[in-house]
Amino acid sequence: MRNSGAVLILTFIAKLILQAAGVSPPGKPRLTSCRSPEKETFTCWWEPGGDGGLPTTYALYYHLENSETVYECPDYRTAGENSCYFNKNDTSLWVNYNITVVASNALGKNISDPVEVDVVYIVQPNTPENVTAVVVHDEQGPFVRVSWEKPRTADTRSGWITLIYQIRVKQEKDEKWEEYDAGMQKYYNVFSLHPDKECMVQVRCKPDHGFWSEWTQTTYVKMPNYIPRERSLWILITIFSIFIVLILTWTLNVKRNSMKLCLLPPVPGPKIKGFDKQLLKSGKTEEIFNTLVIQGFPPTTDYENLLVEYLEVYDNEEQELVLDGKELSEDFMKSKSSSDNDSGRGSCDSRTLLLEKCMDGREGSGSDQHQYSQHGETSWASTESSESQGAEPGSPESTDGRAKTWPVVFPQPHHHYPVGAVKPAYHNVPEILNQLSPHATPSNYHQLHHQDIPQQELRFSKSACRHSQSYNQFNLDSIDTPAPGVPPLPSLEYVEVQRVNPENMLLLRPLSDPNREPERSDCTGEDYSKVKVVTSHNILLLQRDTSHQCVDDYSQADQCTTQQPPHPCKPAVHQWNSVMPQEGMRVMGNGYVDSTVLMPSF
Amino acid sequence: MSRSLKQVAVLLVALLCLDPHSRVSSAPICTHGPSGCHVPSLADLFDRVIQHSARMHSLSNDLHSEFEQYFLPSKNSIGKIYRKCHTSSILTPNGKENAQKLAREELTEVILKLLMAWRDPLFQLHQSMAHQQDFNSFSSNKALEMGDMAHELRKGVEKVAEKMRVLGMLGNSVTGLSAAETMLPISDSGEAMSNYELLYCFRRDSNKVQNYLKILKCRIVPEHDC
Repeated sequence: MRNSGAVLILTFIAKLILQAAGVSPPGKPRLTSCRSPEKETFTCWWEPGGDGGLPTTYALYYHLENSETVYECPDYRTAGENSCYFNKNDTSLWVNYNITVVASNALGKNISDPVEVDVVYIVQPNTPENVTAVVVHDEQGPFVRVSWEKPRTADTRSGWITLIYQIRVKQEKDEKWEEYDAGMQKYYNVFSLHPDKECMVQVRCKPDHGFWSEWTQTTYVKMPNYIPRERSLWILITIFSIFIVLILTWTLNVKRNSMKLCLLPPVPGPKIKGFDKQLLKSGKTEEIFNTLVIQGFPPTTDYENLLVEYLEVYDNEEQELVLDGKELSEDFMKSKSSSDNDSGRGSCDSRTLLLEKCMDGREGSGSDQHQYSQHGETSWASTESSESQGAEPGSPESTDGRAKTWPVVFPQPHHHYPVGAVKPAYHNVPEILNQLSPHATPSNYHQLHHQDIPQQELRFSKSACRHSQSYNQFNLDSIDTPAPGVPPLPSLEYVEVQRVNPENMLLLRPLSDPNREPERSDCTGEDYSKVKVVTSHNILLLQRDTSHQCVDDYSQADQCTTQQPPHPCKPAVHQWNSVMPQEGMRVMGNGYVDSTVLMPSF
Repeated sequence: MSRSLKQVAVLLVALLCLDPHSRVSSAPICTHGPSGCHVPSLADLFDRVIQHSARMHSLSNDLHSEFEQYFLPSKNSIGKIYRKCHTSSILTPNGKENAQKLAREELTEVILKLLMAWRDPLFQLHQSMAHQQDFNSFSSNKALEMGDMAHELRKGVEKVAEKMRVLGMLGNSVTGLSAAETMLPISDSGEAMSNYELLYCFRRDSNKVQNYLKILKCRIVPEHDC
């Protein structure tokens, strides 16, 4: 006990002294790596841990797995300082080597940590050799062909070791290397290099299980100066542009006509109805211009004003007439508004007008009404007169048999107006009706009809109980009929729509007809305007009817409740059917609307 | 209608059965060499087999690395766990010269022995890996695949040997593997080897097999890649 203690103390003191002197046992060495270049030999390197100020020797010891026999390194020199080289005889594959390094000096020794090594897994070949880079000129452009050889030590011929290669390329002033895998072949073609630049190439290799070798020394090659002819790109561009041109041409061809229209809009030729180009060409100007002359055009009266005037004027008179109408039947007074004033009423309320409007109410198309009303020439029988039995929506006043008047300008008789004014055909109504003049014969039928009229005929029947009926029919479209001349329209008269007969005929009656007697059942002396048809725009076109029958044709006998029994039909309760025949308009004979003055007021 | 069809069918079948020439029998497609079809050459066969062995080795490498990474963090303990592989009784050349000294037949036999020795242990490995919760299914699938590959590789090498024998390259000294060759992976101490040890040993053995096959190929068909 005492001795050991003394020994310890002495050792400790000695160490202190030695440390003060600067010497110590060696530091612990460390095995850095072991490598085999060809899987037949291998080398291990270590680093000393510090010599401790004294000369230190290193020894490497190893033993194989599952064997306790320790061997020392056979060769310390071949591989250099601090290395141990195992030659072929000492190398066994697929066997673990347990290697340690011992550093020893005068003061002691130190043993490194053991390292297990299996040679098969530490293979790192030498670098490839004889790297050559050659510029090859090709049609597509020059490229570089790099070729090399395997490292001398590696035995690939017997299949003992298999190497795969990798090259990397950098052109001058580039920052990064481009790496390419070459597999097991010993050459590689490098494309896409820029012309007139120097090119650097390096190669390395690796066994199938192992480490990459070092890169070879750089090989330089200079690219020649050439202009890349990217032919394929130009070909592609050309084909594409041709394709586009073809498509454009085809499109233009297809749209040829619309292109013409767009670029060269046609000059509109003269389109004047009745204008005969041939005549113009023949040079007879007088005839040409004569055809253009419209008798009685332009209208010299202002119908709108007239309308207004008439509204005012006939206010009181109409009242009486209305009362007359009322006497005829109670049904007349289904009107909502009792006032005779037009103001504040809808168009359907207006006594003066707008047959179409109220008809539209039935039909549901209101647009035309507005059109109509705009013109002001709604000098047609009000729709009420045409309204059918019973109260109907849109017919504010369902008047049965109540004749409405509308302002009509009575021109000289036998005025014909060119149909040219198609839509505004009704413009001409006054003119046309002018033909009615009081000296219009009872059998004076003026037929108004529109050329485009559908074949409906609106007839507003008037019962025979309605007395004087004047049939006014106006023929708008017969230009041929010579107009006797259009005098200025001195007087404007109103034509009343006495009623609408089932044949969709408006029976008009001039207000100024002296022969007018509301209760007369005489057919003669009454002016009726037979409405031939109601157009789609709800224009009533009066029809010129040559035949004049009034009484006998009235089939609406049951409808009349007149006080005139001998008459087959009953007048008063004329249910104003709707203008449309589908609604069961009853046709009374020729169905003339009696234009007796039953209009209450304007 | 169906009745007549049935009768026709019966007649046809009868004809077929009675007519001996129409009997269909299975026969190899390319029995007569390069007359009609492409018979893989010995070089092709070798290439295929070598590729197969390379795949097998890489699989074993992956599994071994996984094991090392997750189950044995410290390297020091590796040496302690080492036990002898069960295939260490098979004499295998441990160097290039030794391998080159071996005759073709012996080399082929060594290869076949190795592959045979691993048939059962690989199956065991897969079983144990599948049962343990430590491994994910991916690893156990790898083990299963490895076992299949070893099996196929053995078949392939047998075919190669057969071909070589046909071509006269191999003598008849290659003996068939007897059942006694199958070894149990029992270490010296009698304990069954652990999964890690099995993997370690198999990684090494698959490398051996790959190497030997390459040597054999370059010795027999040295045209390319050698």
